[in-house]
Amino acid sequence: MSLDQAAPGVEAPSAVQGSPDPAAEHAQDASLRELARKIESVLFVAGGPVTVSRLANAVEADASLVTRAIELLRERPGAGLLLQAVAGGYQLATRPECAEPVRRYLQTEHAESLTKGALEVLAIIAYRQPATRGDIEQIRGTRSDWHIERLLERQLIRDVGRRQTVGRPVLFGTTELFLRYFGLGDLSDLPPMGDRGVQALLDSVR
Amino acid sequence: MPPATPGEPAPSQAPTSGPHTQDPAIPLSRPATYTVKVPGFEGPLDLLLTLAHQGKIDLTGIAVAELARDFLDRTKHSLDLNEATEALWMLATLVEMKSKLLLPKPPPPEPLPETGESDLPERMEERLADYRAFREAAEALRALEELQQRIFVRAAEDRPSELLLEGVTLDDLFRAFQDVLARARRSKAAEVVDEPVRVADRMAAILAAVARTPDGVAFRDLFPAALARVTTVFIVATFVALLELIKERQVRVHQASALAPILIMAVRA
Repeated sequence: MSLDQAAPGVEAPSAVQGSPDPAAEHAQDASLRELARKIESVLFVAGGPVTVSRLANAVEADASLVTRAIELLRERPGAGLLLQAVAGGYQLATRPECAEPVRRYLQTEHAESLTKGALEVLAIIAYRQPATRGDIEQIRGTRSDWHIERLLERQLIRDVGRRQTVGRPVLFGTTELFLRYFGLGDLSDLPPMGDRGVQALLDSVR
Repeated sequence: MPPATPGEPAPSQAPTSGPHTQDPAIPLSRPATYTVKVPGFEGPLDLLLTLAHQGKIDLTGIAVAELARDFLDRTKHSLDLNEATEALWMLATLVEMKSKLLLPKPPPPEPLPETGESDLPERMEERLADYRAFREAAEALRALEELQQRIFVRAAEDRPSELLLEGVTLDDLFRAFQDVLARARRSKAAEVVDEPVRVADRMAAILAAVARTPDGVAFRDLFPAALARVTTVFIVATFVALLELIKERQVRVHQASALAPILIMAVRA
């Protein structure tokens, strides 16, 4: 199908110009929009992130088509919901600029933020994973048991095995919830270490 | 990457996020969690802990009990549970470290043979640079956290990190607990500790109460009407039991409006 040829450079599928067969293009657009509606419905009932392959199964279409339909869904500036790429999948979520009414409705004052120390420990685990208690304490130069316990409790980190050295210390890594908590698609979405990466991120967010 | 939010007020301006104020020009200067002043040191508590850990400050010359008293005084004025528990942990760690310092030490094990001292400053420098990089990374994660906290996903069945509190914050719950405690103090002259109280027993009692009352048990009914009859430990243990049950997702807490009673309900299996 000609759709496959178009797939790599997906930008705005509806704005195809100079097409040899406008009628066929139009039909494709219509079927892609229909696919997008189905995907949106699945994402709505799912709540959390859904992988492309599970979406493809549900809507009975090729993964490449699903990806194109997702692009269509992501480009709707007027929509109340946004499609967020998170934890290896996609989820429907509210827009950050609508946080206040949503909070009022849910009657949740504020989410419990992590403390500064806990964030430091989490950053070390995220970038160095797998990391042991000793690795963390060596970098921070102080004890971190409390923070590790809290992070385990909030399921942002988990035990991923043991290092084969003296004492066989527990190794920690981040969880799927970690990705969702910070809105990351996968670990490669972590802001690059060093001034510029961090500054770029702060600029893009604030 | 998450979408940018131009023109949005910084989340730090929300009235509830006390310690999160920040100056974008110096992103790393987030106000310290809790600052202390002792002979030879004035600064954030976590720095004191770090310096003590590295042996750069002599803990034996510091009255940790006074630090603890200051801390308790300060929590009477304002309390961020998260920060407060972290500070409490740091104080406890200081106490533990100090008590170890005061105990007679066994002779040290033979020194490690490989420690050539020449590269020590370099390694320290390297470690500090590492630490700085991670602190910046932590700042970046904070920015993502703040953004993501403004983004909501439809409530699914499996949200393991979510505490089961509806219309109630942990602060509300804590304040309700402080009320009970204050009433108990007013109603009794002296206290005789008679028998040990176990949190596990209180958990069982709460579970039994919510099982009997599907519409929910009012928070104050978790405690006996005649508060003078029970010990402070009993009240504290009951509150700890409630928190434990919330954490284990065995009960949920609901408050219909600000002035409505706080209700504790069983979580349907």
